[in-house]
Amino acid sequence: MFSFTKEQKVFDISGISVGGQPGMYPTVLFGGLFFKGEPDFDDAKRHLQTMYDLSKQTGTPVIPDFFIRKVEYIQPIIAFIEKVIPTKHPFSIDVIEPSIKIETLGLLAERKLLSRTIYNSIHIGITKEETEALQKYTPEMVIVVAFNPKDKSPDGKIEVLENGAHLIECGLLELVRKIGIQKLLVDTAALAPGENSGAAIAALPVIKEEYGFPAGCAIHNVVEKSRWLNDFPFAKKTVDVASNNTIPLFGGDFAIFGPIENVALVVPLIAWQDILVSEYTENYFGVSPIASHPRRKLLK
Amino acid sequence: MKQKLKTSVIGSYPIYIDTLDVIKDYFSEQQTSWTKYIEQAVHDMTSAGINLVSDGQTRDPFIQLFTRNLRGCRVRARTEILGPVQYTGPITEPDQRYAKRLLPRNTKLIGVLTGPYTLMKSSVDFFYYDEKQLAFDFAVALRNEAELLLKHVDLISVDEPFFSNEFPDYAKEMIGTITKGLSRPTRLHVCGDVSRIIPQLVDMPVDILSHEFKASPYLFDVFREYSCVKKMCIGAVRSDDVIVETVEEIVTHVKKAITIFGKNVVQIAPDCGQRMLPRDIAFRKLQNLVKAGEIINGG
Repeated sequence: MFSFTKEQKVFDISGISVGGQPGMYPTVLFGGLFFKGEPDFDDAKRHLQTMYDLSKQTGTPVIPDFFIRKVEYIQPIIAFIEKVIPTKHPFSIDVIEPSIKIETLGLLAERKLLSRTIYNSIHIGITKEETEALQKYTPEMVIVVAFNPKDKSPDGKIEVLENGAHLIECGLLELVRKIGIQKLLVDTAALAPGENSGAAIAALPVIKEEYGFPAGCAIHNVVEKSRWLNDFPFAKKTVDVASNNTIPLFGGDFAIFGPIENVALVVPLIAWQDILVSEYTENYFGVSPIASHPRRKLLK
Repeated sequence: MKQKLKTSVIGSYPIYIDTLDVIKDYFSEQQTSWTKYIEQAVHDMTSAGINLVSDGQTRDPFIQLFTRNLRGCRVRARTEILGPVQYTGPITEPDQRYAKRLLPRNTKLIGVLTGPYTLMKSSVDFFYYDEKQLAFDFAVALRNEAELLLKHVDLISVDEPFFSNEFPDYAKEMIGTITKGLSRPTRLHVCGDVSRIIPQLVDMPVDILSHEFKASPYLFDVFREYSCVKKMCIGAVRSDDVIVETVEEIVTHVKKAITIFGKNVVQIAPDCGQRMLPRDIAFRKLQNLVKAGEIINGG
């Protein structure tokens, strides 16, 4: 368990704080919705309610991560967000296609939702048009994916943050500064087994010590790519959920844990892990957890 | 006197890396493939009719291309030296092997190595605190790579731009560490103003010297003062200027070189790697270089 010498940044969005020294703030969980494409709003509503209830019960902060795969889904998904997500609660939008990103930003601005938006994500694939849209419609917070195709080690992730690994004009951190976004989360870019899959976890303390920015990743993707686990279907689900534990254990601040359907397993697990980390870091480093931390909430 | 010069490149070629495509591969959990970028670079060079092509060095700038793959080096904002520099396995060889498969008959391949002095000077040293030792360890590593490349390439070219800024007294021994006894011809490329180090350059343990005579035509006059028996690669189109030299201009330039170096002019090339040029400009420069070469050879 860690305490970093570099001053740790803590960013707030609509009442949720991300970052800081390990043990101070609970791990923030992002639960994915509509990954497969077409939104099932009834199903989503049910899962969201479960997620918020679990969060209230444990103290583990949760944020819904909305995948938007097609242009025609933008309007209904944003309408769903307006209707279902509590008005003082943040959400993230998870889009790959630049044209969909740009249109989504415009609608979020129109609906005055940008102050609650986490933009997932900025990376080496950013286009000029997307950059301009972000300057015009600036979200409150952004996830920066530190994927470097040339070097998948923690050093490669720092390289892409620093200078874009010479693939884009400047480093991703400078790019975010130029856009005018102050609050950023670094996603350490989990990769498949055989591609230095452990580096995403190893990079968490490296990034935090280097920059002090909140760091996390979607480590469960590595489990999905571990084909050998298909021979162990019962264990696979356990491994998928448990993989998220490695994030707080290595000093990380947030976990993008995959489908929201797993929320009932992931939230108590991470609350348990956060308590473990907090007990040690308070005893050894003197880092006290905030009032809403699972340790305060669940250990009376 | 009939000339038999070859057209060549120095190393890098400007290929646009589609980073959106790269990130989409990441999100769909596909491995990034670099082969299409090598194909584009080699295609341009061979389409232009260049005799001696490279793999385009598309994967990385010429420093990181090597240091990223050497033990003891850490690449972040710059290359940092954290331990003894050691060769651990193929660096450019897989790309060269792939480039070789793309070549038409009679087109030759250059194995380009960034020189040890340039690698040393471009790194931040947290371990050796001894420039010479670090440079020699780079040289030993590059020798290993050169030996591996011999199976695939027709010429080994060592790129040492830092020599024009600062020339170490151990340069000959260091370059010899790479080139000694290699079974392919060797070339040393030093761009920039080399007018102060010509006596040392002509004594280098390589077969061919390569310099930027187009951007620095005064080098002709300086070389005239020395008896240079080395074979020469003449920089004949600029790598730092988007104006495309005409065929006639290149012919005049090369003819001037021939008046000084005679039959020792064996290659004409861009002044340096073309990475900084727009791709269409780089291509047109190569086309004109080839046309000029044909005129010279046929004259």
